[in-house]
Amino acid sequence: MNDVWTSYDSKNFVLEGISLSIDRGTNYAIVGQSGSGKSTLLKLMNGMMIPSKGTIKIDYVTPNMNNKKFKKMLHTIGYIPQSLGLIKNITVLENILIGALPRLNTIQSLLKRFPEHEIQEAKRIISLVGLSGKEERKAYMLSGGEKRRVAIARALMQKPTILLADEIVSELDHVTAHEIMNLIADAQKRMNLTAIMVHHDMQIALEFANRVAVIKEGHKILEIGIEGDSIVDFQTGNINTEEIMEMYADDTKK
Amino acid sequence: MTPKNNLVIGIIIALVVVASYNVDANPIEFAEGLPNLAIVVEEMLLVEPKYIPTALWAMLETIQMAFIGTVVGTVIALPLSMFAARNLNSKYVYAPVRALLAAIRTFPSILWAILFVIMVGLGTFAGVLAIVMYTIGFVAKLQYEAIEAIDPDPVDAVSSIGVSKWQLIRYVVIPESASHLLSQILYMFEYNVRQTSILGLVGAGGIGFYIINYIKFFEYGKAAVFMLVVLAAVLFIDWVSVKIRDKYIVKSQHGMEVTTK
Repeated sequence: MNDVWTSYDSKNFVLEGISLSIDRGTNYAIVGQSGSGKSTLLKLMNGMMIPSKGTIKIDYVTPNMNNKKFKKMLHTIGYIPQSLGLIKNITVLENILIGALPRLNTIQSLLKRFPEHEIQEAKRIISLVGLSGKEERKAYMLSGGEKRRVAIARALMQKPTILLADEIVSELDHVTAHEIMNLIADAQKRMNLTAIMVHHDMQIALEFANRVAVIKEGHKILEIGIEGDSIVDFQTGNINTEEIMEMYADDTKK
Repeated sequence: MTPKNNLVIGIIIALVVVASYNVDANPIEFAEGLPNLAIVVEEMLLVEPKYIPTALWAMLETIQMAFIGTVVGTVIALPLSMFAARNLNSKYVYAPVRALLAAIRTFPSILWAILFVIMVGLGTFAGVLAIVMYTIGFVAKLQYEAIEAIDPDPVDAVSSIGVSKWQLIRYVVIPESASHLLSQILYMFEYNVRQTSILGLVGAGGIGFYIINYIKFFEYGKAAVFMLVVLAAVLFIDWVSVKIRDKYIVKSQHGMEVTTK
């Protein structure tokens, strides 16, 4: 995936002339305050919204729900909304199997007949995300951290190439947030995923991402790359970590 | 109490008086009629216990009619509710389905019963059909409202996987809206038992048939037996459904309060 894109909303611009290019296999973070338009950015990437101006391409395909080619691509784009979107009255296992629905034919899916290998795959992912023994729990009984694990597992069940996650650790305590982030980083490396995650906490983004874009009031103000301990500002070529952090702090406090 | 409130209350009282005059609702006549009530009650107290077995059988028949009507009506109502939900269909689908359901609900079950008595003749089958129609109208309405009220987040999340509409309905819409369904069906069944008890008045079977006949022949003591059996049965069904509700529904709704955020 190597595309330039810009997007606008119809009247009040949520995003104004954003250009990003994200390479395949990157762990990319988008950071900004609430209202900065970062969730909109994710919705544009999975075709839930279409830009009023500008173009977006993922592997040369324009994200749009009505585009058949893109709808097929969606099968392998895992999207975890901030609200997670789990179904409360069904079990963990059933929630996760939803990720496999695109691989089922109509009759199998209407009869809830998941092939044995899909169930095995779901169980493998359940143990991967650390939910073993909780397969039969109803989703509403789970804790905040466990719910996020289920949402991640559902996305992994899609056998994704891209994983989009909206503020997945924002409401968690420090320890749980790190567990969840480690889990995603692990899966990202193992499956060579392109992970695009939205955060409002810069610290978390710097800790886990290879690249971080900072969005403020619909503008991209900063894009930085991380290699080991050093941080590089792509726009200015600045490599002083402290200066960049200060700039970020200034920009978000204003 | 503000002057405005007084005015509103004054107008309502005036409307009640005018309407009572128009429909001949006279409180004096009511007072004069009280001795008649005393006579009826006195005669009713001459309960004839030997009719209890007959009354129980008639009640059992009534409950069975209501049961068939509720089950068949619900089975027909559920797919209709899918087509009537605004969040799942285009206007061209939901508008006609809603209009049809509204038309069905316009008739009280006793009018449906008259219609079906004309169609299939006197007897319990006409009563069952009437209950089916009534149940379709109401369960479909309650259910499409439940579907429209489901949390949009899971719908968005799952549709962003690119699943088909049928898969969305099967895996998101049905489980998310089902928690209300049991309570609606129980309510409908209770209601249908009461409805079926009076359908006999137009010859559509059930216990009402006995009640209306004994009243016609001024045999209030016999009618009283049947009316008491209806009362007992309704109370019993009410009690049972409270038990079922406590067991299954309170639990899941408690869970509903826990948000995913």
